[in-house]
Parts: sequence; structure tokens; C-alpha cells
Amino acid sequence: MSKRIPAVSVLTANRLHDGLVVFLAADGAWVESIAGAAVAGTPEEAQALQAQGTRASAHNLVVDPYLAEVREIGGRLRPVRQRERVRVDGPSILGDVPGYVVPPPSPHATSAWGEGRGEGQPRARTTAIATALHPDPLPASGEREHGAEAA
Amino acid sequence: MYRYDEFDAEFVRQRVAQFRDQVARRLCGELTEDEFKPLRLRNGVYLQLHAYMLRIAIPYGTLSSRQLRKLAHIARTYDRGTGHFTTRQNLQFNWPRLADIPDILGELAEVEMHAIQTSGNCIRNVTADHFAGATADEVADPRPYAEIVRQWSSLHPEFNWLPRKFKVGVTGSEHDRAAIQTHDVGLHLKRLADGRLGFAVWVGGGQGRTPILAKLIRDDLPEEDLLSYLEAVLRVYNLYGRRDNIYKARIKILVHDLGTEAFAAQVEEEWRRIREGVLKLPQAEIDRIRAYFAPPAYHARSAPAALRHPNRAFDRWVARNTHAHKQPGHAIVTISLKPIGGIPGDASAAQMDAIADLAERYSYDELRVTHEQNLVLPHVRSGDLWEVYRSLEAIGLAEGNAGLVTDMIACPGLDYCALANARSIPIAQRISERLAARQDEIGELKIKISGCINACGHHHVGHIGILGVEKRGEEHYQLLLGGSGAEDAALGDIAGPGFGPEGIVDAVEKVVETYLELRAGPQEPFLALYRRLGATPFKDALYAAA
Repeated sequence: MSKRIPAVSVLTANRLHDGLVVFLAADGAWVESIAGAAVAGTPEEAQALQAQGTRASAHNLVVDPYLAEVREIGGRLRPVRQRERVRVDGPSILGDVPGYVVPPPSPHATSAWGEGRGEGQPRARTTAIATALHPDPLPASGEREHGAEAA
Repeated sequence: MYRYDEFDAEFVRQRVAQFRDQVARRLCGELTEDEFKPLRLRNGVYLQLHAYMLRIAIPYGTLSSRQLRKLAHIARTYDRGTGHFTTRQNLQFNWPRLADIPDILGELAEVEMHAIQTSGNCIRNVTADHFAGATADEVADPRPYAEIVRQWSSLHPEFNWLPRKFKVGVTGSEHDRAAIQTHDVGLHLKRLADGRLGFAVWVGGGQGRTPILAKLIRDDLPEEDLLSYLEAVLRVYNLYGRRDNIYKARIKILVHDLGTEAFAAQVEEEWRRIREGVLKLPQAEIDRIRAYFAPPAYHARSAPAALRHPNRAFDRWVARNTHAHKQPGHAIVTISLKPIGGIPGDASAAQMDAIADLAERYSYDELRVTHEQNLVLPHVRSGDLWEVYRSLEAIGLAEGNAGLVTDMIACPGLDYCALANARSIPIAQRISERLAARQDEIGELKIKISGCINACGHHHVGHIGILGVEKRGEEHYQLLLGGSGAEDAALGDIAGPGFGPEGIVDAVEKVVETYLELRAGPQEPFLALYRRLGATPFKDALYAAA
């Protein structure tokens, strides 16, 4: 992806075993909801997220992590690019897919990365930014499944 | 239909076992993504926007009921209940888990299917006229030759790492339903001057960011020389095709840069060297393969159903969605996967099961997938058309719109594809809804939509083509006019400045209204009018207010 570090960003990737879109959370877990993502507001914070992503990729948790630019809209994090908005929301046409079956909540909706957690973990300000943008409690695991979003 | 021999079965079984081991090694970390990616791509596994995608080969678009039922089972068991038929006559599943894919491939092998060479820089799934073996207008069934090419190209050791992917399309009719001029190699099966079967060979066609129509380099290739000639073409490409720039690596660039005559001369020189070698096709082998494609034991002629079942919607469906069969008393039925406002090419597991039942009962157990993302029952007795129609009505697939403006091609676009810049499917849906009421009045008009410059949605050869691009992070759409993928192949012209997601639907409607105003009558289709008047009246209509 782009080598330019966005002003405000989250780290996203696809999970190795099922390919689903995930975001790096402040505690080092990979979560399916962008609402749970750690937000980087400075180049240093972004680089810290990228470093965690590189390690998660090396540990075979995720594939191709990269920074996605976001901004706050209506109290929620929204990616700037349409491509990333589609990744967050799921296919825009799921309600029209014949016979589409909404999957049950994934048992891997969050996947804590035990090894190395804390090392390179987003710093306090990063977490504070995330909290400021998401004053509501983070959604439970699997709450933002694609089918539910599109319904 | 072709049935696997012992070699085919063992080769596919081994490949499933190999990939099972590779997936296990990837999941446990023995293989990095860089090591694994080329392996998964060789087995049709992509990592797309939301999940892995598995692309399954349907050689020359021919399926049995048993195979379609297996695809329905996989959709239900391993995916999210649906499958997507593509412009390469393949089927894609959009949500398989990586860990499940070896099991899926194992299930496919049970019904003589696989996903080998549906990706990567190799010779891809050979496509063919979807009416092959049934249509009244063909010289001969081209599928035996497609099968011969499949066998030759599968794991061909010399052509497994080409500069870029390589696509072969085959037709046996003068009316080209296989879009052969947009292929790396297009084969037109025909009668040669001496009355024997042979081929016109078209080379160097392709769409993507540099659309080029194929050039005819030999018009009289005897059938027994098919493989040696193809081998010569591939050798020249493999030797001289560019590997330093992915955007200039297709054979179309080589043919263009060398010049058609120089390229053909290179091929002829190599061909003379190998023509009488091991690739010479014995007539006995051609006949052996052809026997797999022998026509079914047709039932006796029956009365046309339309006479017995007066029904306006049915009559319209018969008029649009059936095609003349070579066997009296039979028809070729197109099952439109384009319900109004629907997703082009999508079918649910339940629909696939129902269509498999129809094929078994009414079409001698045979189906086809079209590059226009529809399905075909190739051999239906005229007397069974009413029952087929009623059955399709029950599953929401009885739209009589084959070849009409709502029968659009649309790639998966930004809703699924990691390469896409803009969504294709919602644009198709909105156009379908907007123009459905007037589609019979509009007549034949092919709209083709791609979500990026790679042109999987064939926008360059749409009568109206739509190309999605990204402009400052948002979706934007270019409009092209006057393309054709048929025997009168042409690349569309860019109409002018592009449009936003809402504006593009209005723009298409404006083009259609302009056509309706200017045409000499219903007998003048959109493409004929465009060729008569050119782009000016359409540009005037589109941009007059700007």
C-alpha cells in the first residue's frame, strides 16, 4: 500500500486462516471491527502500529498489514478511501445476493497476539485517541459481521 | 461430456494432496506468505478484499448436473450459500476459509473438477462458444479441440511460467459467441478449402489497460496441426515476451511491437521445425476425444410448446432466451442470471440445485456457463419449454432478457475484488432497474461493466462499456461506446469526461434515449446506429448541458 503515512490511521490486514478483514487493537489483538482499532495520530504512532503488524505477519496471524487513513465522522471512525470503506462495511450488495447466509459470529473475532504483546504496543496517546473517537463501549466479538452490516 | 481418464484423476488427486500439505505448512508458519502466494494462486486461491476467493475451472463452460450439485453443496457447506459465474466461464466462491480449501478441492475432484491454472502466468481455462455442440449455425463442435488444448496445456512444463497469463477461446460458428478476438489465442473452427476441418488462428487479443484486438496469423491450419502450431506460438511468446514490465508482458504487446507479419514469421519458422513431431494429432485421437462430446440420443420431435401454452411472458422468454438447435424439435435455452435489479452471474445453492434438476430432466444432464454470466440448457425439447419456464419462474430466473440491455456483464468490482477501484455490481443493478420497462423496445444492447482497468467485465467490447476508476478516493466511471466482442469485434470509444456513481446511470439512460430517438427503426440495433452516426450525437446529448 501507500508508503505515505496518513495523518490519522489504523492498521488493517486480512486474517491468515480465513482471510477476513481485521484491525489492530490497542492491546495487540486483531479485531474484526474498526471501532476497536488503535488509532495513530502521529507518524511515530503509525510506525509503531506498522511494526506490530510486521511482527503479526511474521507470526502468521495476518497477511499484508497496512495503514488505512481514517477520519472521525459522526463520532465514528470512517476510512477516507472508498476502498477501505467497503472493506469495513462489507460488500454493499449483500442484501441482494441470492441465498446469502449470514455467518455465525466468528470464534476468532478477536485474536490476541500473546507473544511479544506490550513490545511495540501502541502508546497511551494512541489508545486515548481511539477512546475519544469511540466513546461507546467497543462492540462484542462478531457484532459487526458483514451480513448484519448489510441487512 | 469428457470423462477423466486414469491420468486426469491421479493428477488431480495428487494436486489436492500437495495443496493440503502446502496449506497446513502455511497455517503453521513453515511457509511465508511470499512462499505460499504463488502456490495458492496456482490452485485458484486469491486473497480478496474481504476474504479468500476460490476460482474453479469449468473447462469450455460445460457442466453436468452432478457437478453443478457439487458446486451448490460447496456453496452451502463451505461458503455463504452462493456462487458467482464469471466471464471466463468459471465459478468463484467469495468466502471460503483457507483451512477449508483443501477439503473443497477434494470434493471437486470427486466430480472431476479442480481449480488448477485458474490463476497465475500459465495457460488458463480454455473457453468456448456456450452453444457449442448444439447450435444450428456451427460447422462442428469446437469442444473436442478445447479439451485437447486443455490436456496439452495442463501442467505443460515449458509453459508453466509464462511472461503473463494466457487465454485461449474457441468457436465453431461464424457468429462469434466466444469473443475470440479478445483472447491471447482465438481459434475459429471452420471448413478449409479442401473441405477438411481446420482453424483460423487469431493471436494477440486482450483487454486490460492496453486493449488490442487479435490479429489473424493463419487462416488454414489443419486440425491435426493444432497443438504443434499452438506450441510454436507459445514458444515465440515465451522466448520474446517481456518479463521486465507486468503491464507489457501479454502476448498482445509482443505481437504489436514485433508487428503481426514478423511475429507470424517467427511462429511459422518454429512450427516448420516441430510440425511433424510428437504433437501431430492422430485422427484416431481426435476421434477418441470427439466421442466424449457425441450428441445425446435425442428424443422424438414434439410440438412447439408456445402453441400449447399461450402466455405472454412465456412467449417473450421463448423469443429472447431460446436459440435454434441443430436437432429438429429441440431448443437451446439461456437461463438468465440477470433478474431485474439482481447481481449478474450470481446463483444461490438452491438455484443451482434446481437448475441441476432441470438439466437432468430436460437437457440430457448437460449445462453450459456463458462468458456473459448466464447458464444454458443446451438440449431442451420444444415440448418441454413450458415446464422449464415454469420451473425457472419458481426460482426467480425466468427473465426473458437474453441479449437485452438488462443482460449485463459486471465484474465483482470493489464489492469483492482487491484490484478494483470502483463498484460494478450496484451500477448494473441500478441500470437494470432503470431500463427494465423499456428493454424490449430498446432491443439488443450489450452493456459491460468493469471495476478497474483490468477489464474483467469486458467494458472495452461493450456496445456501452463502463469503466470504474478511483478519483480522489471516490468512485468514478468512464463511459465507452461502440465496442463489440462478436465477429465484428471493435473497441469502444471513450465518450468524454466521466461520471459519478449516480451520474453514470443517468448517462447510460441518456445514451439509450438518444439511440431510440435517432434509430431508423427497431430493425436498427444500437451498434448499427453507432456505426452509422458515430459518437457525436451521443456526446452532444451527454455533455450538452455541461
